[in-house]
Amino acid sequence: MLFNSLTFLIFFPIVCIVYFLLPTTRYRNLFLLAASYYFYMNWEPAYALLILTSTIITYGCGILVEKSTDKKRKRTFLTTSLVLNLSILFLFKYYNFIGDSITDMLHTCGIAWQVPGLHVLLPVGISFYTFQAIGYTIDVYRGTIRAESDFFTYALFVSFFPQLVAGPIERAKNLLPQFHEEQHTLDYDRIMAGLRMMLWGYFLKLCIADRCGIDVDMVFNNVDKYTGTSYIITAILFTFQIYGDFAGYSLIAIGAAKVMGFRLMENFHRPYFSTTVGEFWKRWHISLSTWFMDYLYIPLGGNRVGALRHYFNLFVTFLISGLWHGANWTFVAWGALHGIVLCVEKAIGISKKQFSGISKLIHWGITFIIVCFAWILFRANSIDDAVTIICGIFTQIGRPRLDPANLMADIIALSILFVVELLQEHGKGGMLLHPSSWFARHLQMALLIAFILLFGVLGSDQFIYFQF
Amino acid sequence: MKRLLISIFFIIASLWCIDRLGGVAMHYVSRNTHDIFGPKMKHIAVDADEDIILMGTSRCNMHYVPSIISDSVGQTVYNCGIDATKDIFSHYIMLNHLLSHHTPKVIILDTRNEDLLGSSDFSTIGFFAPYFGINSSSDSVMREAGKYWAYKVSHLYRYNAKAPSNILGLVVDSYANNDNGYIPLARPQDHPQELIHKTDTMLPLDSLKYDYYQRFVNRCHEHGIRLILAISPCYSIIDSSYYSAVYSFAKQNNLQLLDYHSEGLFHDCPQCFKDDHHLWDSSARVFSEQFAHDLKQILAHSANN
Repeated sequence: MLFNSLTFLIFFPIVCIVYFLLPTTRYRNLFLLAASYYFYMNWEPAYALLILTSTIITYGCGILVEKSTDKKRKRTFLTTSLVLNLSILFLFKYYNFIGDSITDMLHTCGIAWQVPGLHVLLPVGISFYTFQAIGYTIDVYRGTIRAESDFFTYALFVSFFPQLVAGPIERAKNLLPQFHEEQHTLDYDRIMAGLRMMLWGYFLKLCIADRCGIDVDMVFNNVDKYTGTSYIITAILFTFQIYGDFAGYSLIAIGAAKVMGFRLMENFHRPYFSTTVGEFWKRWHISLSTWFMDYLYIPLGGNRVGALRHYFNLFVTFLISGLWHGANWTFVAWGALHGIVLCVEKAIGISKKQFSGISKLIHWGITFIIVCFAWILFRANSIDDAVTIICGIFTQIGRPRLDPANLMADIIALSILFVVELLQEHGKGGMLLHPSSWFARHLQMALLIAFILLFGVLGSDQFIYFQF
Repeated sequence: MKRLLISIFFIIASLWCIDRLGGVAMHYVSRNTHDIFGPKMKHIAVDADEDIILMGTSRCNMHYVPSIISDSVGQTVYNCGIDATKDIFSHYIMLNHLLSHHTPKVIILDTRNEDLLGSSDFSTIGFFAPYFGINSSSDSVMREAGKYWAYKVSHLYRYNAKAPSNILGLVVDSYANNDNGYIPLARPQDHPQELIHKTDTMLPLDSLKYDYYQRFVNRCHEHGIRLILAISPCYSIIDSSYYSAVYSFAKQNNLQLLDYHSEGLFHDCPQCFKDDHHLWDSSARVFSEQFAHDLKQILAHSANN
């Protein structure tokens, strides 16, 4: 079920009403679990079995890890959980990619043998719930949290519908205890705040991401037909498309959970105001960045090692982060590029600097250009396409062949986003963004819905991050 | 709970007001814009009084020059072709809007296989939503597309599909150089590279499309309009059976079909095309002369009979 579908707009109020009508936390959790599975099964019913499998494995291993007194046994159960979960992820997401890459390599060496392909759909959100479940097992192993004894509560933690298919990737220590809290009440301010977040998320998705996506898809899916200026414009548009798409989804998820009384972690913190790539990663997809930091970068040694090893740790973390995003060399290249830039920032010592004035503006510009440039690798359908676009940017400057009306709509929506985020960034948006007047606050919501009705792309059927 | 209900009620009430006011404003915009779509649709729904009306997609829009056809056949001509309206449903909506105030003598529908084959696609139905609520036959297509209630409830949403284009059209006049609806396409930088051989990959006949195509024909018959089907040039070689569904439909309904694609017109001239499916202005004028000649013969022949 998509957040931007009519089905969800009917499903969500019904879930909320029933949720608040149920008398105890236990019943509410069981109801939310059923609703979450219904939410997922709306897409492909059979694949709910994968979530269930991952849930059973991590639940069982979590309990076994906690009950084991022997460290070796603890490690065995942890390894079992990791291997089984990552195997499922590998099979569904990476098998064909690795197989095709091996086949290509053998062909280059003159060996005509093909690795047999696996004809299956990529389960929506598999990387998200797998990482969330793996994180839980590791936390139990480390003793950060206690293993959850109630299977249904744990199953709800893995499958909680607002963040099931595209995050935020929640930590057990934040979300699990919330399922044991006393009944969430009908708190007016909290519900309205949640609804406002959802509405802003819909604006980001429908008026920014999907609107920018029209031009981006046109150019990136027909790279031969366009020239440098079109590439530059659509690379910038994609920068905002992916932000609108993913931050929009996260906001709808966080808002929906908030309406029901749950607090999910912030996933985006105005990333395009960053003045270094390092800062960008502290503001972009925070739940994934911190996941990689806690469960990969720090176990590798983090920065408490020699300089070379530190760079290696950083690079590997970002290489794997790239691969996490998709089974294609373009994602690996994107991750590698970010890894390299971060190593350079560390080496020249700008990663921890605070900038101000002109210097801040220059560093913001440089960071934005680097991030935009890297998104070309991320969005391109193949490495060949990415090379065509990058070469085209420097060699074929010509008149852009894009629809001016659509560009105008992009600019209007992006201007609203810019003003709102600039005010938030400088902490000056109080009166404008959250007016104290009840009347103005509500009118603002109605105006935003009207804007979405007029300028939103309401026929889109996908969130980019679903594929990850 | 009471506060929440009051808030929700207030938001819905203010949204209703904004929606209705916005609807009025966008109505003005869509009727006064100078983008390509707005003036054409207004012409079809309100102003059209020509003898011959051309209908179809961008291929119609870019291939038939009304002034050339008009000079040849001695009747007034208007080109109603609209970019991306790749389905018979759009043509049916336009026909109904046209018939609500004017009955032309001849309608030429530039048709494609996709008017009959492949699954029903209502993706461009939204283009016509600004004229929702005016014509019940056109509105029935919105119902078929599952959009009826959305357009009934929200007036602003009716303008969603073309809002940016309509608004930009208030300041940029893209319709200025039109020739009775024909928009000349400038000489392109690139032309199609090779003459592709399209094999007979026949999609299944869609019963809903067939039904609406039949309705289109019936509406023309009811009003005594001569309907002629045409397939304008494409830069691709096709098998003889490629348009069999269109031929069969034309035969069943006793309709004249002018097929310039199978004939191979302009196949020796890749520079005449912008891409596989579209001629640019210079070649469109050459094609229009040939089409006008053929049409004149057909009309003269039927007049003699």
